[in-house]
Amino acid sequence: MPNEKSDLLQGTLDMLILKIVELGPVHGYGIAQRIEQISNDVLQVQQGSLYPALHRLEKRGWLKAEWGESDNGRTAKFYSLSAKGRKQLADEVSNWNRLAGAVAEILRTRSAEAQL
Amino acid sequence: MKRPKPDFESQLDYELKFHIDKLTEEKIAAGIPPDEARRQAVLKFGGVEQFKEELRDVRGSRFLETLLSNLRGAVRVACKRPSLSLTIIATLALGIGANTAVFSAIDAILLRPMPFPNGDQLMQITQYSSKGKGGAIPAAPARVEDWNRMNSTFQAITGYYTQDVAETSGILPEKITQAWVAPRFFEVWGVAPALGRSFLQEEERGGGGSLAVISDHLWRRRFGASPDAVGRILRNGAESFRIVGVMPASFLFPNRDVEFWTPVPLNAPVMRTRNANWYTIFGRLKPGVTLAQARSDIAVVQSQLGKQYPQTDADLHTRVESLKKVTVGDSGRSLWILFGAVTMLLLIACTNIAALLLARTTERQREIAIRSSLGASRGSILAQLLTEIFVLALAGAAAALAVAAGTSHLFQTMARNLPRVDEIAPNARLVLYTVACAAVTTLLCGLFPAIRATRHTLNESLAHGGRTQVAGRNPLQWALSGLQVALAVILLAGAGLLLRSFDSLAHVSPGFESAHVLTLRISASWAESVDFNRTRQRINRDIEALGSIPGVEGAATSGTLPGLPSGTTSELAIVDAPVEPGRKIMAASHNVSPGYFAAMRIPLLAGRDCPEQPMGAALVNRNFADAYMAGRLPMGNHLQFVPASPYLMPGEIRGVVSNAREEGIEQDPVPIVYWCNSAPTPMPVFLVRTRGEPMAMAEAVRRKIHQVEPARSVYEVMPLEQHLSDALAENRLRTELLTFFALTAVSLACIGLYGTLSYVVSIRRREVGLRLAMGAARRQIVLQFLREALRVSLFGCAAGLILAALFTRVLNGMLYGVSSLDALTFGGVAILMLLTAALSAWMPAMRAAQLEPMQVLREE
Repeated sequence: MPNEKSDLLQGTLDMLILKIVELGPVHGYGIAQRIEQISNDVLQVQQGSLYPALHRLEKRGWLKAEWGESDNGRTAKFYSLSAKGRKQLADEVSNWNRLAGAVAEILRTRSAEAQL
Repeated sequence: MKRPKPDFESQLDYELKFHIDKLTEEKIAAGIPPDEARRQAVLKFGGVEQFKEELRDVRGSRFLETLLSNLRGAVRVACKRPSLSLTIIATLALGIGANTAVFSAIDAILLRPMPFPNGDQLMQITQYSSKGKGGAIPAAPARVEDWNRMNSTFQAITGYYTQDVAETSGILPEKITQAWVAPRFFEVWGVAPALGRSFLQEEERGGGGSLAVISDHLWRRRFGASPDAVGRILRNGAESFRIVGVMPASFLFPNRDVEFWTPVPLNAPVMRTRNANWYTIFGRLKPGVTLAQARSDIAVVQSQLGKQYPQTDADLHTRVESLKKVTVGDSGRSLWILFGAVTMLLLIACTNIAALLLARTTERQREIAIRSSLGASRGSILAQLLTEIFVLALAGAAAALAVAAGTSHLFQTMARNLPRVDEIAPNARLVLYTVACAAVTTLLCGLFPAIRATRHTLNESLAHGGRTQVAGRNPLQWALSGLQVALAVILLAGAGLLLRSFDSLAHVSPGFESAHVLTLRISASWAESVDFNRTRQRINRDIEALGSIPGVEGAATSGTLPGLPSGTTSELAIVDAPVEPGRKIMAASHNVSPGYFAAMRIPLLAGRDCPEQPMGAALVNRNFADAYMAGRLPMGNHLQFVPASPYLMPGEIRGVVSNAREEGIEQDPVPIVYWCNSAPTPMPVFLVRTRGEPMAMAEAVRRKIHQVEPARSVYEVMPLEQHLSDALAENRLRTELLTFFALTAVSLACIGLYGTLSYVVSIRRREVGLRLAMGAARRQIVLQFLREALRVSLFGCAAGLILAALFTRVLNGMLYGVSSLDALTFGGVAILMLLTAALSAWMPAMRAAQLEPMQVLREE
């Protein structure tokens, strides 16, 4: 089962997807490109692994999916944020900030001890 | 705009392909040649198939697909090991088949509503007197009309009575059963004639002459199912009935023998007598009315009638019971006992299969390990293993349905007088039931072995070769074997008790000689009872004619069949003796003709037989004399009914006869008064003692009666022993079936024991080989394995006997001459079980001892 994989990474990917989709309807390829651009290749994910995440989020009702026309006229599946997803994103961002803050705090303490 | 097809797979393909296409375009734009661009794009995207799998998991769309592929795999596995598969299918076909067969009877007899529209609304109402012993008394037509008018809980109340008459419009008189019905009869059943009509309201009240509605059976037999039958005439001597309708084939009320229904004319003067005993009463409840409401409503109505007609009604009470309960009676208990037995049988079959599968898991360990190393989750392997069994269980269930369909006739032939037995037939509910059985057995047999099979970790299994595995004690296998033995012992104990009881019934001396007695009835109508003297003369003439046939030693009549419950216990008083307060004289009443005691070979102990002019005379049996007339000479005393009845005259005791089990072979003789009356009703039972085989006389008897009574028909010509044996049909059915189930259970338990020991021997070949090589005696090896099997059997036996002691209590009241804890039966069961267990363990144990040590050790 997919859940048995690293929860942290997966949760992070979910949050990234929600964040990107927040800006407006976008297809899977678009999301992959945005992740690549924004993270400057720090996040090395196989682009295909995006799709299980997308479908899972859609199934949970956080994303809405619609078939629409892409820029070169081909049909593509566009994802957009639902109201439920918007709330979820807010929760995850605040969680992430708290976690990141806590981790940063711990790291700072460690370096202070090392100086002693 | 081109869109993918709406199904999930196409959309998925399209979405992923779109992404890879875009990636490829991006690479081409960066100057990479198309082929190379495509390759890099695919690489960057990752394994398409792998993501698809994951996506299918996410979507849950894999369920059906997994199921199908599991099913395909299961069929493949089943075909790959045909002998194991066939064993499992056959075991389940037997187990589920027996279960379904018994369930089909339970469903038809106990669970389904009566075969009438809203059958649950149908109620029987009985009236009984607060004096006497509370037996039901047929109701007077006037009272039925009162109940119907005054109640508030019934849609309608009606009644009927039946008689066997001769239909005389053909060449020979033909016996047909007629039901005289009160108004609203067909309305209460809610069944309309299939052809023609039923009776109009004014016809039910006596206008329009004599009409009849006939049964489907009579319609086909007499009129070739012709629509012209409506309007034709049925004759019974001087009476004639014009046919107005034909009932559908499913309408078999009050019983399957009734061939035509005629309305009782309501305006005749006799209809106003309130102490006539005529009708059996039924009613249909209004929708939503409960049984309790109906009971109190009818009770209130009857108490009002009691005030209005104190002479006839004050003493009467009513009982309301659902028609289904009345019809089914207490045959439910036998059926549930049988159901319990077949359920145990199915459990044994399941444990057997579970043991077989456990033995196989070792062989499949490697396969399972490889599959799980390739990424299959434990759940999916479990599902696969269970599907394999479910496929076999389904095949077994299909075969079981065939078994059950075949045995539905068995009930009809083995127990004709079981209520509603005609309604047992295969139907959709049974199919559902067998599928449910298959599912439950799958879990029962499969879950344990499957969990066991998937528990071992991958490395362990791959590291060990199949052969070198350490031989454990296999406690689970042995526990299953012990369980089987225990269950088989319970069934065997139950069957043993029933067999012993049946055997003592067969050896009981009834006090009369039932062999060489032919019984018959001669058609008559209740209307003949108006002229007592004429009826008695006619019956005496018939008795005389029967007695004059060469080969007949004697003939007599009796109101009821000897040896079958008559249910006629009534209170009596001895006129010449002072009344002892607080002591009621209760006795069964039998009406017999002179010559009855001679024909039945019941010895006369004192006094004389019934006189030729018999009215006003009686004989008592020894029990009666001992119980109520101790210390006095019974002869010359006068008996009369309490309360005194104008219809039932007092009688002088003329003699004492020895005790006979008149009220049922399994009942100890009760006090009986034999009233000397050859014609208590116009249709008594004729008893003919023959010199030779009774049925050989049947034709002579028929001919003789036709000569004397050309307008009457003779029917139910059969040996008395046949009646007595029919009365034991339910008893015999449960005894034979339970014995069959118990023997099947024992053989299954033995097969299980054999299988388990064979398996244990096979995985301990090395150990045995080593011990033999070190000089162990072969005898020791045999004994060691035998001891192991016997220890388990002994535990199983002990547990089984303890459980049996608890379970056989349900047989209380069904056993005759043997206690439900009979030591002889229990001991016999234990010995039988242990002997068969030892026998079935013998072979594998011997095989173990015959191993060639060198060969075994070289196998490594």
